[in-house]
Amino acid sequence: MTEVNETTTSTTRTLAGKYLTFVLGRESYGIQVLKIREIIRFTDITAVPQMPHHVKGVINLRGKIIPVIDLRAKFGLNSTETTERTCIVVVQVALASGVTSQTGLIVDAVEEVTNIAAGDIEETPDFGGAFDTECLLGMAKIKGVVKTLLDIDRVVAAETASALMHV
Amino acid sequence: MDSGLGTQLMACQDAPDYAALCSIIEKLALELVLAEPGKDNGLLPVNSLLGDLEEVARRMEVPEALGAAIRKGREWVDALFGAGNFEESTLSRLRSWVEWMQAAVSALHNGQAITPLIAEAAESSTATAPSAAPQAVEEVAPEEPIVLNLENDGELLREFTNESHEHLQNIELGVLTLEENPTDMATLNSIFRAFHTFKGGSGFLNLRPINRLAHELESLLDLARQQKLAIDSQVINLILSGGDTLKRFVSEMEAQLGGQGGGSPISISINDLLARVRAVVQQSQSRLTPAPVVAPTLVATPVSHAPEAGGTQEAPGGTAGHQDATPGSSGTAGAPECPPAAANAAAAGGSESPSKNGNVRVHSGATSVKVDTLKLDSLVDLVGEMVIAQSMVMQDTDLLGIQSQQLSRNLAQLGRITKELQRVAMSLRMVPIRSTFQKMTRLVRDLSVKAGKHVELHLSGEETELDRTIVEEISDPLVHMIRNAVDHGIEPAEKRMAAGKSPHGLVHLRAFHQGGNIVVEVEDDGGGLNRDRIVAKAVEKGLITSAANMSDSDVFNLIFAPGFSTAEKVTDISGRGVGMDVVRRNIEKLRGKVEIQSTLGKGSRFTIFLPLTLAIIDGMIVGIGTQRYIVPTLAVRESFRPTADMVSSVQGRSEVVNVRGRLLPLLRLHSLFGINARAADPTEGIVIVVESDRESRCVLVDDLLGKQEVVIKSLGETFKRSPALAGAAILGDGRVGLILDVDALVGQRTAPLSMAA
Repeated sequence: MTEVNETTTSTTRTLAGKYLTFVLGRESYGIQVLKIREIIRFTDITAVPQMPHHVKGVINLRGKIIPVIDLRAKFGLNSTETTERTCIVVVQVALASGVTSQTGLIVDAVEEVTNIAAGDIEETPDFGGAFDTECLLGMAKIKGVVKTLLDIDRVVAAETASALMHV
Repeated sequence: MDSGLGTQLMACQDAPDYAALCSIIEKLALELVLAEPGKDNGLLPVNSLLGDLEEVARRMEVPEALGAAIRKGREWVDALFGAGNFEESTLSRLRSWVEWMQAAVSALHNGQAITPLIAEAAESSTATAPSAAPQAVEEVAPEEPIVLNLENDGELLREFTNESHEHLQNIELGVLTLEENPTDMATLNSIFRAFHTFKGGSGFLNLRPINRLAHELESLLDLARQQKLAIDSQVINLILSGGDTLKRFVSEMEAQLGGQGGGSPISISINDLLARVRAVVQQSQSRLTPAPVVAPTLVATPVSHAPEAGGTQEAPGGTAGHQDATPGSSGTAGAPECPPAAANAAAAGGSESPSKNGNVRVHSGATSVKVDTLKLDSLVDLVGEMVIAQSMVMQDTDLLGIQSQQLSRNLAQLGRITKELQRVAMSLRMVPIRSTFQKMTRLVRDLSVKAGKHVELHLSGEETELDRTIVEEISDPLVHMIRNAVDHGIEPAEKRMAAGKSPHGLVHLRAFHQGGNIVVEVEDDGGGLNRDRIVAKAVEKGLITSAANMSDSDVFNLIFAPGFSTAEKVTDISGRGVGMDVVRRNIEKLRGKVEIQSTLGKGSRFTIFLPLTLAIIDGMIVGIGTQRYIVPTLAVRESFRPTADMVSSVQGRSEVVNVRGRLLPLLRLHSLFGINARAADPTEGIVIVVESDRESRCVLVDDLLGKQEVVIKSLGETFKRSPALAGAAILGDGRVGLILDVDALVGQRTAPLSMAA
């Protein structure tokens, strides 16, 4: 029993830190602040044909062309109309090939940047194989709200892989 | 080591002074090596540099040993002024003095003790053998690996490797010029300077093997400069292999700087090469002064000379210093090893005589600045952004409403400047193809020796400018094609003579502008492609069933198929069946194409067509639904709105358009891309005829929106394998437009068709 506790604390301790939290529908998520480059307002997206439906297309980020992923669609949530709170979170991720690339994530609204202590983080429970928990770092409880901490490298890397497979 | 650390700290604090010291000594060394006995050229600069040296030394409060040496140097230079000219003996004395200074300063920097300058030894040794350069004899030190101090010297090492490339290239190009014209002093000097800089830099960074090698080669070249050594193929080969060895060091160092296997020792054997160089140096000296007295002097020199040599060589030794053999034993060990090595070198040198060719290009030192390519790319990106911002200002509806002459004048001025800026920024990416071409000279030289054929390479159009990326990327395909030309194209001399051709094979490498393209041609006067053999091979490989109605060019194109090779035997050089498919892939990656012309028995010509730049294409912007796409204008033949009788459907699935009697398949882009088109009926939309690889397709779009030059951007990893897109570009309004890959669009339809056939 003590052993389990110890491993839990050691994993969660490395997870403690600053997170940007945002909402998708009624769910709340967090991404490590270090991964975030900037947050921009929702803009026109140029659709790229023959891509999975959650890959919305590309945008021009000050001369750079970056792909945009709809996290709602990615996580299988119902799609909604964009509101004025909808924004694109630009993250910098390291791909499997070793190169870093920027990717935009469409989220319903950004909440705040918050410090999450090790004690507030729990390891991702086993959902009984209901879905793949590979992209999750853990779960955090802040003021009674559960926030899912995303391993954004994996979320985007899986994106690249699935885009390739789709071809 | 504690006291050493202290000195090092001190040296670090005095970094600017230290750098000044190094640079003065460097300059002094250069002046001295360029100085010639019996002339006063360089005497004044040496004097003033010595003055600078004295001043810096006073300011730095250098150790006594160094101060004493500087005073000694002053004494000698003053004596020189009395004589009016450099003299052989004082010159070599000063040269060994400056070498000692270099060693002493780097020892000072590394916090090691300075071995005192033994002026008397230097004087006596130069007195006994005035004609022998003091560096001619040196101990054969055991091979030492280089261990890089990445943490402290990282920046310096990086600078060293960066600069090395240029010097290595100078060496290589220079040697090839020398081969044509062995008496070209300007080239000889430039090679000499390159090795000299290597020596200086490596001594400073304590890279002993590089330092030793550069030093020996420098001595060799110095003899040639003084016309005591004739440049023959043996010397040329020595310089080339010296350059190659240095290149290996540099690339190993770069690998470590790049984070691969950091800290592990780099050991590349140099002793063999050193022995060969020394043998040549000694040979030339004994040949020059054939008097019987000299021979014993040469053997004796190491002994009398040893303390001085030990002093200069061990001082920078650093960690490896203790491995050095003692001066006495090294002197005797070095001497007997040389004669057999000399024989080897002479045998290896071959009997190749340098061909006479008068048109030697003197490399003019164009004024240029080295800039990090990342900075350059970001400048180009920013200028692209600015062009977009400018066009957004121009199209701003609020501004357009203002009736002001002043405003419209200013806007026009802004437009002109932006355009000019864009033009200049784009031209920054353009470099002459010369460097790539000249690499091929070396390649042909090596290949022809290996294949035992005499092949000449003729270059033309080296000044043709191409996009930097293309110049880099075209190198590999060219290497493949030239290898093929030399190895398979050019026949052996006997066969050529039998066919009534000159025994010397000829390969032409040309670059020129043609239309909107750059053309690079590789032409050889060899045997040409054998149609029957290609067909037989293709049938054997199952690529075709028969070549009954294939044109020659179709047959020749078969050699681009993967794994296709007609060479009867695999040689060291080529014939492994990889090559031509890689050539075509690489060229297509550059958005270019390659064509073959060949006549059996006469030779073949490979023509590569390349775009001027990779960064910009002329694009036609088309609309489909709410989306806009860019079609490269180069691929567009024509566009029109079809009438109902031009379009007919085939089995209710495919459609063809009758374009002036040619039936071309119709590709509905909207259904391929899953977009709701405004013009589902072809008669309401526009049909664009696109062409790729001489195959045409009709592409249906909603409307044409205009023509624009666009800066191509990569779509990135996520869309890497997107089948129909070649990239993206930012359009005038700041939004992204996707560039269609016409080759893929055409291919998408040909694949199922040919399978059905």
